[in-house]
Amino acid sequence: MEVTFKVYRKDPEKDGKPGRSNYTVEVAESATVLDALLKIRDEVDSTLAFRASCAKGYCGECMVRVNGSARLCCTAKVPDYTKKGPEISLDPLRNIPVIKDLVFDFDAFLWNKIKAVKPWLESDGSSVNGENLLPDSQMQDMRKVMSCFNCGMCDEGCTVLPVDFNFLGPAALTKAYRLAFDPRNKNSREQVKIVEKPKGIWDCVHCYEADEHCPRGIEPTKRIVALRDKAYHAGITHETVARHHKSFAASVKESGWVDEGRLAVESEGLTNVKGLMKLLPTAAKALAKGKAPIPYMHAKRPDADRIKKIFEKAEQEEK
Amino acid sequence: MQEFDVLVVGGGAAGLRAAIAAKHAGATVALISKVHPLRTNSAIAQGGLNAPLGKNDSPESFAQDTFVAGDDLCDRDVVRIFTQKASQDIIWLERMGVPFNRDTEGRLDRRPFGSNRQSRTCYTDDRTGHMVLQVLHEQFQREQIPSFEEWFVSTLAVDNGTCVGAVALSLRSGKLDAFSARSTILASGGFTRVYLPSTASLGTTGDGQSLGYNAGARLMDMEMIQFHPTVLAKREGLLLTEALLSEGAVVVDHKGGSISDIKGMPRHKISLSIYSRQNGAGSVLLDLRPVGKEKLARFPQTQELARTVGGLDVTKEVLPISPAAHRPMGGIETNAAGETSIDGLFAVGECACNGLNGAGRLAGNTLTEAVVFGRKVGEAAAKHATAVAKKSFPATKVGDEEQKLARIMSGDSSQDTVRKIHGELGRLMNEKVGLIRNGAGLKEALTEIQNLEERFSRVRVKNPSRVYNYELTSYLELASMLTLAEVVALAAQSRTESRGAHQRADFPERDDTNWKSHTVATLAGGSVQLQKKPMASS
Repeated sequence: MEVTFKVYRKDPEKDGKPGRSNYTVEVAESATVLDALLKIRDEVDSTLAFRASCAKGYCGECMVRVNGSARLCCTAKVPDYTKKGPEISLDPLRNIPVIKDLVFDFDAFLWNKIKAVKPWLESDGSSVNGENLLPDSQMQDMRKVMSCFNCGMCDEGCTVLPVDFNFLGPAALTKAYRLAFDPRNKNSREQVKIVEKPKGIWDCVHCYEADEHCPRGIEPTKRIVALRDKAYHAGITHETVARHHKSFAASVKESGWVDEGRLAVESEGLTNVKGLMKLLPTAAKALAKGKAPIPYMHAKRPDADRIKKIFEKAEQEEK
Repeated sequence: MQEFDVLVVGGGAAGLRAAIAAKHAGATVALISKVHPLRTNSAIAQGGLNAPLGKNDSPESFAQDTFVAGDDLCDRDVVRIFTQKASQDIIWLERMGVPFNRDTEGRLDRRPFGSNRQSRTCYTDDRTGHMVLQVLHEQFQREQIPSFEEWFVSTLAVDNGTCVGAVALSLRSGKLDAFSARSTILASGGFTRVYLPSTASLGTTGDGQSLGYNAGARLMDMEMIQFHPTVLAKREGLLLTEALLSEGAVVVDHKGGSISDIKGMPRHKISLSIYSRQNGAGSVLLDLRPVGKEKLARFPQTQELARTVGGLDVTKEVLPISPAAHRPMGGIETNAAGETSIDGLFAVGECACNGLNGAGRLAGNTLTEAVVFGRKVGEAAAKHATAVAKKSFPATKVGDEEQKLARIMSGDSSQDTVRKIHGELGRLMNEKVGLIRNGAGLKEALTEIQNLEERFSRVRVKNPSRVYNYELTSYLELASMLTLAEVVALAAQSRTESRGAHQRADFPERDDTNWKSHTVATLAGGSVQLQKKPMASS
């Protein structure tokens, strides 16, 4: 079948401006997009740059956008993309600096972010006492999370990264989950502290795009939420947002509804004078309108005890 | 110029393990890899890695199975070292975080695999290579070893018989740089892409073997190429782990007759059996349904790939399979410490041949080999670096490489392309230097390889850039493959017997009288010199 591939081009050695090249080639019915790219590079335009390694869907190297959707091009079957016509557009992933043509900066996108979470176990490697004895159920969860092959699809779909490229992103945070929850890791507290800081777990907006995009069903969003839980219970609450969650839950548990005054104050932190001072203009405006809640002077709502029971039951189940 | 005690070329399992070990031994280390370590061929290994951890198992039993799979061509001392160290090195992997499957006592579970007579293959579902590589890379990052990713080594620097480092091209900047090192370890993987189809990644093109060979190192047992029996015929080279056979999968021929003489057999026997029962492409079928849902859950990778690549649901459909070239046993000749015939040059992993695998590698030994010898060779290289005086890097080496690249990238190219020549080479090797060889076919193959080399000499790289110029890297990779193809064919021609993976229709019997020997190839005066190296008696 004859197909025209419209491929994104960018040449850092020329003007570096994005362009597009169209290549019309004859490909087999069973061909993948990677097959076509290899043919194009060999027979039509050898300046075309794109990455590939295993060519069999295992290694994650050949990620591109095919007709706008990110995927591995070695498993993208050409006929699946030519149903509306014999044209396929190919682009690098979104919102990532492009180096050349379809080769984008994977270091900035992913590898460096993984490095930033200190992605290794601190563990005693001596074989003298044999292997750690562990139930397979624990290892099963690890195998699921570690089946991540750094394809980058979760980061590509993330709605925070286009706004803040420095957000660690679901892939790096999934790695952090692996570190935090591997029972053999002696360093997990330090690693949780790293991801609890700005640009980490609390910057996720839980849009669940990562879970939608992950081809292995790893559910990065779920892992990020689990990390928040772990951080919170370990008393690692550096971030305002963490304190916000804690205060919110505490006042609902005690009184059945949110104590807004207490929430504002505890989110900033009781000893955070600078932060508290920032609240004054808002507090003054609210007071003028007769809407200022006085922190801690907060009536329990009716049936507050039943709401408290729900919390206690949930806390029991968590244990 | 960059300077290190130890330079590791290749970022797969063996290279990473060697780099970590060299660093632990106190050396300054750097890694060069043409793809990111997590994109290397190690990532696609599935089945598992062997260790004699079972109550009824022992290094001796493990060694015996290795000898049988190697059809008595293995070096006994190397096998002894390997089988004695395997358990400790696999336990290290577990302790550093590999999420191995466990038995009911929480110990490392071991699956039956290939011709291992004991269940000794530790595994993580069917993604063992991926998990082991990931943990090795984690530990590699912990060591903060400088990692030159997407750098292509274009030549070794050998001065007066001593290797003093290498020159490499950065794909990102397009610049050549010199890497001076007291010890250089080649861990660049196999050369299976010389064959098409093959189960290997696109970059498994034998660059390390070619670099070493061109610098004067010896290549041993190059005729020994293992074909993997259960490769999906629908999509070239998609491997289905042999562990499926041990878990109950059934192989049937086109008439529906079960091929049952393969249980517990070494790979070359299974491949030959399937090959002999084939009646056209894809006529032999692998049925995974007898494995059962519960056990199939331990093969998520198989299910995923059969679906995304082959469009098949393994719980409902049968899979057409055909043996395909998988990994070489041969490579750069080394001793147990990874030393080659060139001072300062080491080799480890699939690019090396230390005598462990003989004429056939026992299923499950490859990853274990990568970590056991990765560690040993890293330590040896670090030790060597402390013991030698620093030699100066030849001043003209980078300039020479600039000129070589300029020559390749200038002038008119013929109508041939790299991919066209590679395609013809791959199919030729598969047909005439493949599962079953004969004298006439090998002779024809050698003539054809010469023709391909001559055609290749008239090809030029048309892409004038050096930044992410994959036409250039493909060209250099094809040069490696053509060099090695000739050595493989000559070695196959010289071995007038059948042993393990090397099967000669015209010499169908094993000949221990004349052939308890390795073949050794050296480049001398521009042509291949072959010798017979008798096995060490022990």
